[in-house]
Amino acid sequence: MVTYNLKKIQTVPGAKELIDIVLSKTQRKTPTVIHRHYAISRIRQFYMRKIKFAQQTFHDKLSQILQDFPKVDEIHPFYADLLNVLYDRDHYKLALGQLSKARSLIDNLSKEYLRLLKYGDSLYRCKMLKRAAVGRMCTIVKRLASSFGYLERVRQHMARLPSIDPHMRCLIIAGYPNVGKSSFMNLITRANVDVQPYPFTTKSLYVGHMDYRYLRWQVIDTPGILDKPLEERNTIEMQSITALAHLRATILFFLDPSEHCGFSWEQQIGLFHSLEPLFVEKPLLIVCNKTDLPWQSQVEEQLNALVRQESNHSNSLDKPVLADGWMKMSTLEKTGVVEVRNTACDLLLSQRVESKVKGPRAQSILNRLHVAVPASMTHTSCDDQKEEESQGLCRPFIPESVWKKKQENKTMEEEEKEPSEEDHRKDSQKILEKDLEMAHGGAGVYSSDWNKHYLLRDDSWKYDIMPEIVEGHNILDFIDTDIDERLAALEEEEVAREAMSENDEMEGLDEESQQRLQRIRDKKVLLIRGRSKQRNPIGANKMTKAHPKSSQEWRKQWLEMGMDKERVDMTTKQILSHRSQSREPSKPRSQSRSTSTYRWNQTKAEAGKGFVNHQQKQKALHLARKT
Amino acid sequence: MAIRCQFESSSEVGVFAKLTSGYCLVSVGSSENFYSVFEGELADHIPVIHTTVGGGCRCIGRLAVGNRRGLLLPNSTTDQELLHIRNSLPDSVVVQRCEERLNALGNCIVTNDYVALVHPDLDRETEELIADVLGVTVFRQDIAGEALVGSYCCLTNQGGLVHPLTPIEDQDELSTLIRVPLVAGTINRGSEVIGAGLVANDWSAFCGLDTTSTELSVVESIFRLRDMEPVSFMSEAKPSLIENLA
Repeated sequence: MVTYNLKKIQTVPGAKELIDIVLSKTQRKTPTVIHRHYAISRIRQFYMRKIKFAQQTFHDKLSQILQDFPKVDEIHPFYADLLNVLYDRDHYKLALGQLSKARSLIDNLSKEYLRLLKYGDSLYRCKMLKRAAVGRMCTIVKRLASSFGYLERVRQHMARLPSIDPHMRCLIIAGYPNVGKSSFMNLITRANVDVQPYPFTTKSLYVGHMDYRYLRWQVIDTPGILDKPLEERNTIEMQSITALAHLRATILFFLDPSEHCGFSWEQQIGLFHSLEPLFVEKPLLIVCNKTDLPWQSQVEEQLNALVRQESNHSNSLDKPVLADGWMKMSTLEKTGVVEVRNTACDLLLSQRVESKVKGPRAQSILNRLHVAVPASMTHTSCDDQKEEESQGLCRPFIPESVWKKKQENKTMEEEEKEPSEEDHRKDSQKILEKDLEMAHGGAGVYSSDWNKHYLLRDDSWKYDIMPEIVEGHNILDFIDTDIDERLAALEEEEVAREAMSENDEMEGLDEESQQRLQRIRDKKVLLIRGRSKQRNPIGANKMTKAHPKSSQEWRKQWLEMGMDKERVDMTTKQILSHRSQSREPSKPRSQSRSTSTYRWNQTKAEAGKGFVNHQQKQKALHLARKT
Repeated sequence: MAIRCQFESSSEVGVFAKLTSGYCLVSVGSSENFYSVFEGELADHIPVIHTTVGGGCRCIGRLAVGNRRGLLLPNSTTDQELLHIRNSLPDSVVVQRCEERLNALGNCIVTNDYVALVHPDLDRETEELIADVLGVTVFRQDIAGEALVGSYCCLTNQGGLVHPLTPIEDQDELSTLIRVPLVAGTINRGSEVIGAGLVANDWSAFCGLDTTSTELSVVESIFRLRDMEPVSFMSEAKPSLIENLA
C-alpha cells in the first residue's frame, strides 16, 4: 500500500538560491588551482570536471524535487482530486514538467560542452568553454524561477494537510455550515478543532482519531457546504466534496432542524438531495443536531419520509446504504453523541467485514477466530474443585493476596471514590528498584542488591560470603550431604530390578534357548568392555577417525566374511607391497628454487654478522683499522 | 490485566523474563526499568528475582523452563547462578540443572502446572526429569509444524496462545491434550513467536510494547485476566478481528 507522506518533502529553493548552491558547491568540491604550463590534457580534465560536477549537482537537485512531489496520476484519487482543488492540477503538472525538461536540457548541454572541451587548445579557451557551459545552465534554471516559487508554496501548504489514510476506517462529517459538525468532532476525538458560533469556521479538512471496538478510526471534519451547482462551488466546499466522493467511509449528514444555523430546513434537505450521488455505496447516517432547541413540528414526519424514500431507493438500485432511520443528538448537552458514533462505526464495520469475508484472505484467518475448548469443559461448567479434578481440568493457582487486591480494587470502583490520601501514601511508599536506582546515581551507576530478597532460615545469613572452592574441591559438589548413600540405594535398586527383568525373560524358554540367550548376553558384555578399552580415556570422542587396520586384521576379517583364501593372500600382499614403497620427494628443494644473490653472498660472509655482503664487511674492517 | 513493557528497547519480553505462578525471574539490564515493571505488579505476591542463566546469559526466558513446582535450568548454568536461584526461591520450588543437548529449554519446552509439551527430539532422561521436577504429564508435540514448542506457544493453567498458523484441528487436539482453551494469535504487532513476546501466569501477563490493542484483548480474554469467557469474547470481537487481520 502506498503511504502518503506529504510532510517529508524537502524545501524547494528559489532559482537564485539554487544557482548559488550549485556554483559554490562546484567551487568547493573541485580542484581550484591550474597553471598555464600544465599539460593540455590536464587542463582539459580540470575544466571537464568542473562542468560535469555542476551538471551533476543541478541534476541531483532537480531530481530530488521531482521525486519528492507526488505524481497526480499515481496517487489515490482522493489526494489527486484534493491536489487539483487546492493547487490546480494543470499548473502543478506544468511546473513539474518544466523542472524535468530543464533537467534534460542541462544534461544535454553539459554533454555538448564536454565534447567541445576536448578541442580546447589552451587554458584560456578551456576556461571560456567552462564559463559558457555553467552560464547557460544557470540561465536555464533562472527561467524556472516562477515554477520554483509555486512549488515551494505548494509544499508549504501540503505539509499542513491532514494525513488522511484513504484505506483506513473512516467517518466523514458533512452538512450545512454552522450545524455543529466540529463540535461533534471535538466530542468524539481529541482533535481540538476550532469551534465558533458563526458559519464557515472550518475552512479545510481536519482529521481526528478515536478507538472503538479495539480498532482505530479516523474522523474527518469537513467545511460546511451550501446548496449550489458544482461549478459554482469554491475551494473550501470542494474539499468536502472530494472527501465525500473518494473516501470509503460512513457519511454522517448533519441537519439542524431548529434552523438556528441560519439556513432553512428546506435548504438543508435540498442539499441532501443534491449530494445524493456522492452517497452511492456508502453507509449513510442522518443526524439531527441541536435537540436542545425547539423544532418545527413537521420535521420528524419529513425525516421519516426521507428515510423511507431513501431505503426504497437503496432497494431498487442497490445503492446508498442507509441506517434504520435518523438519529437525534445534542452536542451542547452531549446527549446521543456516543450512540451516533457507535451506529456510524458499526454500519461501516459491518460493510467492510462483509466484503472482507468474501475476499481471498478470509479463509487463512479462520483459525484465528476459533477458540479451541477441551471437550470436558464444554459439557458441564462446574465450580466444584473435586469434580473438576476428576474431569482432569487444570485448576489455576492464584495466591490469596492477589484475590484480596482484586477485591479491594473492585470495591474502590464500586464506591467510585477518588483514591484517598492513605492509598496515595501507600502507593508512594512502595519503593521499587527503579526509585532506588534514581536515588543512587541512576542507570549504569547503581547496582541492585541481589541478596536482599533471599529466603533463608536465618535472615542474618543473607550476606554471608560463601567460598566457591575449598582445598581444591568445589563446595557445591558437596551440597547434598547424603549423596553417597542415595547413590548406593539407587544402584541397589537398579541391580535388583535388572535381576528381576532377566529372570522374567529367562522364564518360558527351553534350555537351549536359555543357553543361547546367556551366550548373547556374555558376548554383549565382552563387546562393550572391549570397546570401552579402545575408547579415548579422556572422553568418548565418537568423531575421531577410525584408526587404520593392519594387513593382518584385514586378512582376518576377509576370511571371516568367507572370501577366497588365495585372493585374500594376494590382496594382503598387494597392500604390503604398496605400503613398503615410500615415495621419494619429487625434486630436491634447492634446485627448484632460484637462489638469490643476496642469499649466496650471505653464505660467503661468514666472518661476522650485520653486513650486507663480504665487501661491505671488508670495507668496514678496513675503516676500523684506519681510525 | 496484561501489561505492555520493553527490555532495553526490545519488545521480546519473553526472552528476558520467566514468569510462573510461583515466582518470576527477570534478566539484568543496564537499568532497573524492566525489573520494576514486574516488581511493581508481582512483588507483593511472589518472589521476583534478578538472575542470569548459563554463565551470564540474559536470555533467561529461552534457557530456563519452570512452573509453580519447579525450575529446570540448562547445563551451562554455573554453580553460583544455581546457588543464587536456590536461595531466592522458596523451598517448595525444586531447582534442577538438566543435562540436555538441546539446552535452550525455554524454546523446547512449554508447560503449565499440569501438562508440558516438549520438542520431539528431547532426551528420554530429560523427559523423565521434567515429569519429576515440574510434576507434569509430558507430551512430545509440535505446534503448526514447529518443533520449538516453547517459542511458538504461551501456556497457563487457564488458557494458551499458539502459533497463528495452527490449523483448527490441531488446536482442538492440543486443547484436549492440555485441557485448557487455546487460541491462535500473534503478539507484538504480528510476530508469531508468542513465547518470545509474551509471559503470563494465572493472574497477570506481560507483553512487548509493540502489541496492538486487538492482540492485547485476545491475550486478556484467553488467559482470563478479565471477567470474560474467551468464547464469548471471541464472538463479540469477531468483526474487529476480521477487519484487522484480513
